[in-house]
Amino acid sequence: MNVHIHNPVQISDELCIRCPVCDLVCPGDIIYFTPKSKELPEVRYPAECWYCGLCEQKCPTNAITIVFPEQMLHPEGDAIAFLGDLKD
Amino acid sequence: MSKLDFERLHTDVLVVGGGVAGSLAALACREQGLDVVVCDKAGSIDWAGSVGGGVDQFLTVMETGPEWDSPDYFIRRLPELTDGVVDLAVSAAVIREMPRMLRRLEGLGVDFRDPVTGQYERHNSFGLPGTYHLDFNGRKFKQTIGRAARRAGARPLVRTAVTDLFVSGGEVQGALALHFRTGAWTLIEAPAVILTTGDINRLSRNASGMPFDSWHLPYNTGDGQAIGYRAGAALANMEFVEATLTPRGFSAQGTNAFTGLGAHYLNRHGERFMLRYDPRAEKARRSVLVDAVIAELLAGNGPIYLDLTHLPRVEIDNLERTMGIDRYTLPSYFRQRGLNLHKEPIEITVSEFSIRRSGLYFRGSGLAIDTDGQTNVAGLYAAGDCSSVSGGIAGAATTGHLAGVALRRVLKPGAGSRPVADDAVRQVLEDRVRPLEREEGPRYHEVEDTLRDVVTRDVGFRRTRSSLGRAIEALRELETDEASMRAVNTHDLMRSRETASIRLSAELMAVAARERTESRTGSSHRRLDFPEQDDSRWNQFVVLEKGGDGPRISTVSADRPLSSHWRSDSRVAQGAAS
Repeated sequence: MNVHIHNPVQISDELCIRCPVCDLVCPGDIIYFTPKSKELPEVRYPAECWYCGLCEQKCPTNAITIVFPEQMLHPEGDAIAFLGDLKD
Repeated sequence: MSKLDFERLHTDVLVVGGGVAGSLAALACREQGLDVVVCDKAGSIDWAGSVGGGVDQFLTVMETGPEWDSPDYFIRRLPELTDGVVDLAVSAAVIREMPRMLRRLEGLGVDFRDPVTGQYERHNSFGLPGTYHLDFNGRKFKQTIGRAARRAGARPLVRTAVTDLFVSGGEVQGALALHFRTGAWTLIEAPAVILTTGDINRLSRNASGMPFDSWHLPYNTGDGQAIGYRAGAALANMEFVEATLTPRGFSAQGTNAFTGLGAHYLNRHGERFMLRYDPRAEKARRSVLVDAVIAELLAGNGPIYLDLTHLPRVEIDNLERTMGIDRYTLPSYFRQRGLNLHKEPIEITVSEFSIRRSGLYFRGSGLAIDTDGQTNVAGLYAAGDCSSVSGGIAGAATTGHLAGVALRRVLKPGAGSRPVADDAVRQVLEDRVRPLEREEGPRYHEVEDTLRDVVTRDVGFRRTRSSLGRAIEALRELETDEASMRAVNTHDLMRSRETASIRLSAELMAVAARERTESRTGSSHRRLDFPEQDDSRWNQFVVLEKGGDGPRISTVSADRPLSSHWRSDSRVAQGAAS
């Protein structure tokens, strides 16, 4: 597996109050928070993130920032490549 | 505790999917005292479904006076707006209910009025013959209706994926569900099941190359369509592709608001090419817009841009403030990209595609339903984007509500269902937990990557008999890989069931697309070997049901409701509109 998987959900250690909101609102089961834990919520499945930002939107202390990866900000792919096989 | 252990839960109505359709269906059932369980894969039904993060439009007639704003007018215009292949009976029932649904949602606490003017602000979009799109700040829309369903007593089962339906003697008995955080299985026994699982995504490739970067919710994977199909339900319109135009790199919805304001699409020569494709230019319907961009890209006129720079400064500022309502992260995406909308156009492209509604309103791709939301399987209902009628959140809310209302007419609280035998459940469970026991075999994403390559190349925007034949063969071969998938935990097991739903949907799409030997609705179904629309032969729905060896294909005249396929008493579609 790719060890350099981009983390889309960046959580500030200083601002996070260790509440379960980001885990609760995430539609994709991406973020795991252990109740009563002192650890930051874990972004367990970063490759499955939709970049919807519900976690950022609902975080009570604005501790979360959604950060887009390079391949979304500056995609290299050829637009025509995913239009399909055009030959009959 | 054995891996094959499960709990039993009894209810009157099981709703599979806690999005807009599911919430309104649950509410309608609760009003009559029916016990309701709502399963969703999300962590809370307050934010479950496609619009959990927000939505900014509600399509409806409002009966304000002018002829275009009446249900009758909209219904009369439907055949031309939908290229003919649409279930007019169900669509008419939905359109008639929409104004009442608007009031109902307002009663639940949704504010559709503009906070500044206090008025309803409506605009024209996607080629519809009136300003049917009501703009509103729906950031809390889903939260409001999800909470209303909970407060009415609907019992949510969250982080829960429904994997199988049980049907006996043609009647629904219930469903098997996995809580994918704990690994616990529950058999939910119910005489009625409403499938509201939304559309189907993760089917094809896109600009970022990231499968979960999709225009629609990537966790909507056709689970309801798949379990319904396996239990005998008929699917319609599965051949049609739906795609949209998105910023290249981020498959975000929300660019419709840009063209609503007067943004232009430009090709690399700076030409406003949409004028060549449709007199309504940027306000043409979605399938026309997508088709035009594909044609421009193929003609070598790419890159394609969406240009706002000619708009008044104040309007762009206003847009920057509101564009995050439909897709919360879009403003920060532009910021992180360093894009200044005042000064430069946005490069856009065609998104990955979904199976939903072919880029036009009301022609849903999914479980065939009648005006009560009932499928051809007794006790099995469907609503919203997984059904054969699709109309955004208004359509989802309305079809969900109509299914709930129909059920409370025919179902008494506590009526119960035919019990499912322990052995029958264990037999299914044994199969379902097998990926957890394997030490070898492909992971879900490996199977999906192959699938997306096949679908993108051979089933997508350009199709031929031979490409579809190749795809069907490849997708059936992939079923072998699917059967040997390995899951490293129960979250992964849930994803692998999603992969199975996606694979089945892709195969059904290819089968239906091979059957329809014509082209219709732009790139929604473009057969290079049958380039013309053929109304004499193809004013028909392609209907698929599970057969002994692959799908059984039939056709139903679009002059009749889809329900005429399984019911001899269905009224003629046009007649039902009155």
